[in-house]
Amino acid sequence: QGSAPATSLLSLAVTSEQIEHLHRRFKQLSQDQLTIRKENFDSIPDLEFNPIRGKIVHAFFDKRNLRQESDGLAEEINFEDFLTIMSYFRPIEMNMDEEQLDRFRKEKLKFLFHMYDSDHDGKITLQEYRNVVEELLSGNPHLEKESARSIADGAMMEAASICVGQMGPDQVYEGITFEDFLKV
Amino acid sequence: RATSEGQLPGAAAMGTGTPPSPSGTAFEETRLHVFTLDYPHVQIPFEITLWILLASLAKIGFHLYHKLPSIVPESCLLILVGLLLGGIIFGAEEKSPPVMNSDVFFLYLLPPIVLDAGYFMPTRLFFENFGTIFWYAVVGTLWNAIGIGISLYGICQISAFGLTDISLLQNLLFGSLISAVDPVAVLAVFENIHVNEQLYILVFGESLLNDAITVVLYNLFKSFCQMRTIKVIDIFAGIANFFIVGIGGVLIGILLGFVAAFTTRFTHKIRVIEPLFVFLYSYLSYITAEMFHLSGIMAITACAMTMNKYVEENVSQKSYTTIKYFMKMLSSVSETLIFIFMGVSTVGKNHEWNWAFVSFTLLFCLIWRALGVFVLTQIINVFRTIPLTFKDQFIIAYGGLRGAICFSLVFLLPPAVFPRKKLFITAVIVVIFFTVFIQGITIRPLVEFLDVKRSNKKQPAVSEEIYNRFFDHVKTGIEDVCGHWGHNFWRDKFKKFDNKYLRRLLIRENQPKSSIVSLYKKLEIKHAIEMAESGMISKVPSSVSLSDYHEGKIKPLSPTEMENMREILTKNLYQIRHRTMSYNRHSLAADASEKQAKEILIRRRHSLRESLRKTNSLSRDRPVLGSLWDFF
Repeated sequence: QGSAPATSLLSLAVTSEQIEHLHRRFKQLSQDQLTIRKENFDSIPDLEFNPIRGKIVHAFFDKRNLRQESDGLAEEINFEDFLTIMSYFRPIEMNMDEEQLDRFRKEKLKFLFHMYDSDHDGKITLQEYRNVVEELLSGNPHLEKESARSIADGAMMEAASICVGQMGPDQVYEGITFEDFLKV
Repeated sequence: RATSEGQLPGAAAMGTGTPPSPSGTAFEETRLHVFTLDYPHVQIPFEITLWILLASLAKIGFHLYHKLPSIVPESCLLILVGLLLGGIIFGAEEKSPPVMNSDVFFLYLLPPIVLDAGYFMPTRLFFENFGTIFWYAVVGTLWNAIGIGISLYGICQISAFGLTDISLLQNLLFGSLISAVDPVAVLAVFENIHVNEQLYILVFGESLLNDAITVVLYNLFKSFCQMRTIKVIDIFAGIANFFIVGIGGVLIGILLGFVAAFTTRFTHKIRVIEPLFVFLYSYLSYITAEMFHLSGIMAITACAMTMNKYVEENVSQKSYTTIKYFMKMLSSVSETLIFIFMGVSTVGKNHEWNWAFVSFTLLFCLIWRALGVFVLTQIINVFRTIPLTFKDQFIIAYGGLRGAICFSLVFLLPPAVFPRKKLFITAVIVVIFFTVFIQGITIRPLVEFLDVKRSNKKQPAVSEEIYNRFFDHVKTGIEDVCGHWGHNFWRDKFKKFDNKYLRRLLIRENQPKSSIVSLYKKLEIKHAIEMAESGMISKVPSSVSLSDYHEGKIKPLSPTEMENMREILTKNLYQIRHRTMSYNRHSLAADASEKQAKEILIRRRHSLRESLRKTNSLSRDRPVLGSLWDFF
């Protein structure tokens, strides 16, 4: 029970040892069920203290990361999906060529980008960026919300200047697209 | 002053015809000395000052021709100066010039350099690569020492070279003292070539950590050479000694580091002597470790790394600047002196030349280093996330420079046990000169030729810090999900422990610190200072109206004046936006109006003012800025 088809897993280029370890972990998290839901992540004690816990858990259920055609959030994921998410974190192998390496890097960065872009519209707007910074700094009780916002504003301006260079005072900067994200 | 208390004026006094008598009851009195010269009284401090002055003047000299330091590292030039001086002294006095006293080197000249390096070491990068560094330092040095020792013994066996009286143990001892990569030399050479931080930390970290194993091996083989029989128990004692030396040194360093941090918690009333504590405690850790024959270098490095974080928050801004500059100055002077002394000590009669021994020593040093790095890297790459490429390996092998530490160690050899000591000295000098000159000069063109990744000293940016922090949390989160106790897990645990206990104990005003917020504040302050200095503020209405405002004499403004002021403000706001590179003003949100943009600007100024008020020293130094912002 619970052994996923080996052929499709191998295409993710994770070693069999790692697959076994992750499978054990999956069973632990899912309490021997075939799928896990968001609630199952509550059983991980250390994750509680992570300021961006919400975004991390969300990333597991994000359909864009699961390489599915549709958009939005999945209700539950099975072991194959779990492995798909984990495979974003595998290290570079020595025998990759330039093109593979580039694709690999882009995939990892896309995963990060999806974490920032919470409304799935393909760009990181100022509001989303502010949200990220607020979450990051949520561990500091003394910090006012305003400081977090001004930091986000400053960072956004930096990103804009990198991506678009000098802009006139009337130009509007919509948000950071994935291409801009790569540049940054 | 010199002639009071009745000391000997005999040879030193000038301008007096009558030699005075010691008892003072002679029938000829001494006349009043109009002018005296008393050199022995000030000899030691005078000579020290002259040496240091000479070293510093030499340094100025090199930089006069601006292209020189980029081709030839300073260390080479300093050794040449030393050679010149040594030649002069030798020619003048017909005896060997003062050899660098090993005590002076180990107790006074080496600690400042290691302290400086340890204090400003990028801790995060160091700990990320700690496994690799430790692997190279311990196993690599062992490999080199034993390899060089045994192969040299093989060469000594060939009777044609006349070296058969050098025993295996003596060769092993020689191998152990010449295999250590030297931190001073590495710093001197790597400082100018700016390779990427990871490579630098690998070579430099290795040079620091290998002190433990060098100390152990050196003392081990030295005792073995003097012992009649060697039992198995002695070998185990040697291994145990290694752990004690390494771990003991580090523990002493960490302990004194915490004590230093704790002391600075209470120094807010006596800011002036704050820097002193930093230096005293670090030096204390070094000499305490040396007292127990533990590794002093590791002690002082551990002390500096521990102290750094907490002291930085406790001391005032001025003390911090003082510490930084004084440390850099001390280490620079030490380094200069070391290289000059090496040059001076080379000249003289301390040598015995033997073609075979010297050339094979050099050859084996290079071969074993290259082999060692290659083999060890193949093994450690299995455990690394980012494997080391051939280019990296080449630079690591090529950057294994020998320097003053092996120089001093060879002078410390007891001549009774080592009748061929002079031969060893010559060989060591040849190896050092080769690595410092040839490798030191050629490493820069090689780095460029191989297109090794260089360090990019770019402006720190807030968005970069945000991404770094974000990704740290993602990695830690994923490790938690996997149930994997990886690097991020441990770092996170340490951070929590640090926040909960250590920071409360060691820092005076403990507030949870975020690197994002502190970086942002730093950049904003720098930004404001730049703007003030570039004179943009002067475009604001003249100081006359400012002083009016200050004294409360606010005249009601006429409509034309209002219009003018508004125009000036908008123009200046636009110019501020226009000229600031990293903080260009753009409409951020889709519906941002002019008003919102101004509001954002004003809000940022508000938070800047707050941070200006909080940092006392800044507000003390720049009252003008504060009042100007008020006006704005």
